[in-house]
Amino acid sequence: MSISVGLNCPACGGAIQISEGENVLNCNYCGSLLWAEGDAGVMTVAFRNAQGRDSVLRATEEWWRKGFKARDLRTKGKLLECYPIYLPFWSTTTRVAGWICGYEERHHTDRNGNTRTERIPKEEMVLHDYRYTNIACDPGDLGVKFLRNVSGEASFADFESIPTFESTTSKDDMVEMSKQNALSDARSDANVPHITFEKVTAIPKQISQIFYPVWVVRYSYGERMYMATVDGVTGKVLSGRAPGDALYQSLAMTGGTSVSGLIAAGSIAFGIGSGEGTIAIIGLVVGAAVLGFTYRFFRHGSEIIEGDFDDKRSSDLGKELRKGLKFNVGGFRI
Amino acid sequence: MASMKCTKCGAPVEFDTGDKFVKCSYCSSQIFIDRSGAGFYYALPFSVQENDAVGIFRRWAGGSTRAKDLDKLAQISSLKKQYFPVYMFKRDVNGMEQVYVEPAASTTLPGLHSLKVPGGDLKVFDDKFSTNGAEMIKIDIEMAPYLSNLPGAPKEQALVYFPIWKLDYVFEQKNYVVVISASSGEVFSAEFPPRSSAAYIAVAGIGFLAFLAEGILALFSPLLAVGLIAVTIAGVFVASNFVARRM
Repeated sequence: MSISVGLNCPACGGAIQISEGENVLNCNYCGSLLWAEGDAGVMTVAFRNAQGRDSVLRATEEWWRKGFKARDLRTKGKLLECYPIYLPFWSTTTRVAGWICGYEERHHTDRNGNTRTERIPKEEMVLHDYRYTNIACDPGDLGVKFLRNVSGEASFADFESIPTFESTTSKDDMVEMSKQNALSDARSDANVPHITFEKVTAIPKQISQIFYPVWVVRYSYGERMYMATVDGVTGKVLSGRAPGDALYQSLAMTGGTSVSGLIAAGSIAFGIGSGEGTIAIIGLVVGAAVLGFTYRFFRHGSEIIEGDFDDKRSSDLGKELRKGLKFNVGGFRI
Repeated sequence: MASMKCTKCGAPVEFDTGDKFVKCSYCSSQIFIDRSGAGFYYALPFSVQENDAVGIFRRWAGGSTRAKDLDKLAQISSLKKQYFPVYMFKRDVNGMEQVYVEPAASTTLPGLHSLKVPGGDLKVFDDKFSTNGAEMIKIDIEMAPYLSNLPGAPKEQALVYFPIWKLDYVFEQKNYVVVISASSGEVFSAEFPPRSSAAYIAVAGIGFLAFLAEGILALFSPLLAVGLIAVTIAGVFVASNFVARRM
């Protein structure tokens, strides 16, 4: 069995030219309109690598100085190697169209303490394009799962010289995931708290594959080996691991226990004094949140992890993931 | 680079791993590569070298959930450079493309039976591919049983050699093993000596209660409370600094 198939126009026999992602074309010779069936693939774009070794190393050194990383990283950190790779990403545009109806409830309390509930009917038309990106292979320990930037000079010029990670995940899974995300984002954007009726459809408009240049930097700190990745288009640090500092950990804990303890004490005292129980509870919750957040940093701050890593234990993880996943381009809302 | 014969003129045409269409450089006819009936051999190159693998292990061992000073106290007893074989299947299931990855060798090593899709610069694995002295793990699971159990119609199937460093270490007379992906530097481990959170929780809990008590005391005797708070701040700082460094 042969794995290669020659492509001829069925009408005139002339050789046809087709590129990945297309399925409708005209024959160059006889002008027949042709439909190519089968595994058409997806449209592929590669961004030109705009960074060099020096700028990447400089960005990494600058990154060392930011945040709560070890104070002696500047002097003890040794840059060992740095190389660019092309990472594959799926990029989709999904249009959501339809209507979401429901109501919003507002509570009003008058001077006599009577509460009145007002129901405001809402009827929202949804028509918006959502764009998502997601890495198309297992990122391993690179800490990059979404594209932060989708503009750059498209060029395949560096494609031969830079190692390319193949895309190995299913594009149809990505289309399906985008549909689900677009529907739930459209629902939250419509801002109807109580939905009584909805008719919304997600229409996949486009999927493409983007090869994005990313620099991998490895550096050592003592006997340990750390890494960081730098965006090959914008030159910003995308993700990385770095040693933390016990001083920052203990400062965080000192600040955390004192602030949360005093907030809790203050709210309890105020609550007892004024007979207002809710304020005491709110104060205790705020105190507990401060304590929890600072404890996390105290316990796990010996390694600073930035980017989309699974073992990241900082509390803003959810926010960061969502930020990376959703940014809307174009589209409009009426 | 693999090559095949042009379907029109018979000239050799080279193509790379991800290509779906190639152009013959002699007669410039377009050729479609249909991978549904063939099996491909791919390999990922080693981008993490021996010293890097040890350094990555030490970084991992220094992590906050690993036993204190594991990075300094762990004795590395062996470090092996290996290629682990996995099957990658692309299937057309009801018009949807699905990707499945299955191990091609039986193993008890951590991370390898639940490998997702290995990321990396896939190269065609043929006699021109240099393994650079890596040990090839023998394939002992055939592709055929997987094929008959997978849903849908085949689109592509390949055997992918996944580069790993297998590192054995000893800590307090116990043996442990980690697998380091030589493609991305990811560390897989099943069991490792853990670090207790007790000292951390104790500092946080005692500190919080002390400040809470002093805050309430401030209502009755502000001066005394301020003095005590100052002492507690110093105490918590010293204690947490000690715990962060030593425990």
